[in-house]
Amino acid sequence: MNIEPTELEKAVLLKVSGRMDAENAHEFEQACEQWITRGTKHLIADLEGLQYVSSMGLRSFLSVAQRLQSDSGSLILCHLNGLPRHVFELTRLIGLFPVFDSAQQALATL
Amino acid sequence: MDPAARRLTLPASVESVALFRDFVRSGATEAEVPAEELEKLDLVLEEVLMNIARYAYVPQNGQAEVAFAPDGPGKLYVEISDWGNAFNPLEVEPPDFSRGLAERPIGGLGVFLVRSLVGSIAYRREGDRNILSFNFPGSGE
Repeated sequence: MNIEPTELEKAVLLKVSGRMDAENAHEFEQACEQWITRGTKHLIADLEGLQYVSSMGLRSFLSVAQRLQSDSGSLILCHLNGLPRHVFELTRLIGLFPVFDSAQQALATL
Repeated sequence: MDPAARRLTLPASVESVALFRDFVRSGATEAEVPAEELEKLDLVLEEVLMNIARYAYVPQNGQAEVAFAPDGPGKLYVEISDWGNAFNPLEVEPPDFSRGLAERPIGGLGVFLVRSLVGSIAYRREGDRNILSFNFPGSGE
């Protein structure tokens, strides 16, 4: 898995690519925590390059979103496709996250 | 199980998951399981094997075994075993989908995903062994 952050005016965009599994899901959580600690309220996870996510990855998404929401922030997902989308749909997590087709659309709501 | 089944036994650990996955993938490819199903198969194996690695042998260590055999065109029959504490994952309650983000429990999604992605699935305890068996792929949603 690779995580590429870009600091924007109202949010931090994290491009996540590869496979998020039991071995590396904590890396995503840690990357998010670093931005949250620095005062970031909104994180946008661009998942265009994400091929795979297991339940350990879902736990990380859920945990980060809960932390941000408790501080009036949000974890926004975009480009959620393929197996990751299927997994978010099966677990009905998809309804708990703001999901957009693109980062531009997500930014327009902030 | 089919006498022609292939088996792999390894320590029940996070590090073994990728080896088991590659082992089953090679068989799935030979059995002509459709390419778009292979990552779902990876996911099922990861979820079951991670549960074994984390919970089956606490506080000791032990082994896990994965066996598979072709089960008709494009299909596999898979058995995953451990010799740890008796545990039937099919008795795990499904997640509570009615809860909002703040209250949604963080665990319990793995077994639910497994049940959603495989065909028929069964658990049995044989002596000191837990055996979870399933057909893959499932018939769809």
